[in-house]
Amino acid sequence: MFSKPQIHLASIFIKIFYRDRQSLFFSLLFPIIFTFIFLFSGGEPNPTKLGLVNQSENELSLKFVELVKKEKSFLVKEDSESVLKAELIAADQTAIIIIPENFNEFPDPGTIRLLLDASQVRQVGAIRDSLEAVLLSIERDIRNIQPMFSLQLEDVKSRPQRYIDFLLPGILAYMLMNLCIAGSGFNIVEYRRRGILKRLFVTPIQPKDFIISIVLARMFIIMIQLSVILGLAIGLLKINIVGGLLPLYGVILFGAFIFLCVGFFLGSLAKTQESIRPLVLLFTFPQLILSGIFFPISYLPELIQPIANGLPLSVIASSMRNIANDGGTLFAINYNFLGIIFWVFFSFFIATKFFVWQKVAS
Amino acid sequence: MSIIKATNLEKYYPCPENSGKTFAAVNNINLSINTGEIFGLLGPNGAGKTSTLEMLEGLSTIDNGEVLIDDIDVKNDPYKVKKIIGVQLQSNEYFDRLNLSDLLILFANLYSVSIDPKALLAKVNLEDKLFALPDDLSGGQKQRFSIACALVNNPKILFLDEPTTGLDPQAKRNLWNLAKELNEEGMTILLTTHNMEEAEYLCDRIAIMDKGLIIAQDTPQQLILDFAPEPTASPKHGNIEDVFLALTGHGLRD
Repeated sequence: MFSKPQIHLASIFIKIFYRDRQSLFFSLLFPIIFTFIFLFSGGEPNPTKLGLVNQSENELSLKFVELVKKEKSFLVKEDSESVLKAELIAADQTAIIIIPENFNEFPDPGTIRLLLDASQVRQVGAIRDSLEAVLLSIERDIRNIQPMFSLQLEDVKSRPQRYIDFLLPGILAYMLMNLCIAGSGFNIVEYRRRGILKRLFVTPIQPKDFIISIVLARMFIIMIQLSVILGLAIGLLKINIVGGLLPLYGVILFGAFIFLCVGFFLGSLAKTQESIRPLVLLFTFPQLILSGIFFPISYLPELIQPIANGLPLSVIASSMRNIANDGGTLFAINYNFLGIIFWVFFSFFIATKFFVWQKVAS
Repeated sequence: MSIIKATNLEKYYPCPENSGKTFAAVNNINLSINTGEIFGLLGPNGAGKTSTLEMLEGLSTIDNGEVLIDDIDVKNDPYKVKKIIGVQLQSNEYFDRLNLSDLLILFANLYSVSIDPKALLAKVNLEDKLFALPDDLSGGQKQRFSIACALVNNPKILFLDEPTTGLDPQAKRNLWNLAKELNEEGMTILLTTHNMEEAEYLCDRIAIMDKGLIIAQDTPQQLILDFAPEPTASPKHGNIEDVFLALTGHGLRD
């Protein structure tokens, strides 16, 4: 399947990477930092900091405070209005609830005031909804009535899914893209500039041998790097890969191949180390926004969605998410798999067709 | 018998002053190099030496003409040609973090052959540098190592592109001796150089190139007789540097 020179050259690239202690250190440091960030946040957004001033101190207000404190989305701190206001101005609180003195006087129990930092308007809706639910519950208690309707949210897939479950496959795909392009695009320009490629090509190896070797080596290295992240995610963040690791690794291999080949192509287009950076940014940055890494592609304007869905990072990230979250299989004939097949052939074609090993005039 | 035969060889590059036009870096040259010969290609900067060499080595495309290396057509089968030649380039850079032994084994594997790196390094007097990095070598050692790299496939023809540029006299002499030894073992050597003493000492025959053309081709002795200025007060009849300057002029080149 692979020739002796290809396998030996691949082993040399692995040896070079292994002997580069700094690269080795940083390639393992990032997954560890990434995991610990999510480990400490639990993979969910932090609770809203809510200041609470109870000017009433009666049975009803204490019950209200108790119910507000039970809300998991709030981190409640009780104190005087002046202290909490200072904290709100210093951005240490998101909002302050002030319970009036006449909170238990019926039929006019006063109005609960909500002080907000104007820059936190995004959270007003969520805070107001939660407070209204608490007030409704207290009112029902006082009037001794049962709720007529009830609403219970159920995931039809019957699987708990946190934000980290959505995020991890996308982050893995994004890292895969960056690691691959750094491993091929930047290297190729440097090897060419220093005349290393010329030295290689005075021997009987052909461009395809070189490309296959570096792809094999990089795939091996990237599989280890992503395995470290996956291992930490599964072990510490309790990520559940519903569809199994084997199909997920299958997509990672296809993704590595695609992005390494794209890296070769960009490295051939770029004449200098300075010009490879903007070229790589031009390729990676739009995909960070459009490929559904941090939010689903369906949130994008309808006009852009067909383009976004066809991007290489989109098909890889969506396939990984499909396997990790929904138990999909690699070879299920769907839009993403066809997209992967297209990019595998297209990227290999452009990598080999436009491969430049000779130093070019800038 | 010719082991290298170039006929009507031409190479064109885009003209730097006029992007729509091309200029001939190599202009219809003919070369015939015999088996076991040390052949020198001399010329000022930009004369077309490296362009000629790269076409012979199968490293760059041949725009016009034909090259046969050991009866293999370079245009049709450059990879077959690369298997029987060894090439020492002007500048030699290698992958980082690989020692001399790793690099020699790497190059041998690219030819699908096995070697003993220590024995090969001993041939170029570097046997004690087996585990050294190329960056730790001196200029002369680097050049000797680059020749060792070119010898991994035991080539029939060795191409040396300005092998002694920047070397001190001792390192230069050492490398000349190495070239002589390899030649005595039967290896045909084609070298380019700016060093006239080197050409005179090493080469059986010399071709002088200028502006893409071969302007003279013969043995060093015959070239001296034909082109060196007549002796004046000195009994010496001139040397190959006099020949070179007489043919290509005294003006500086870039």
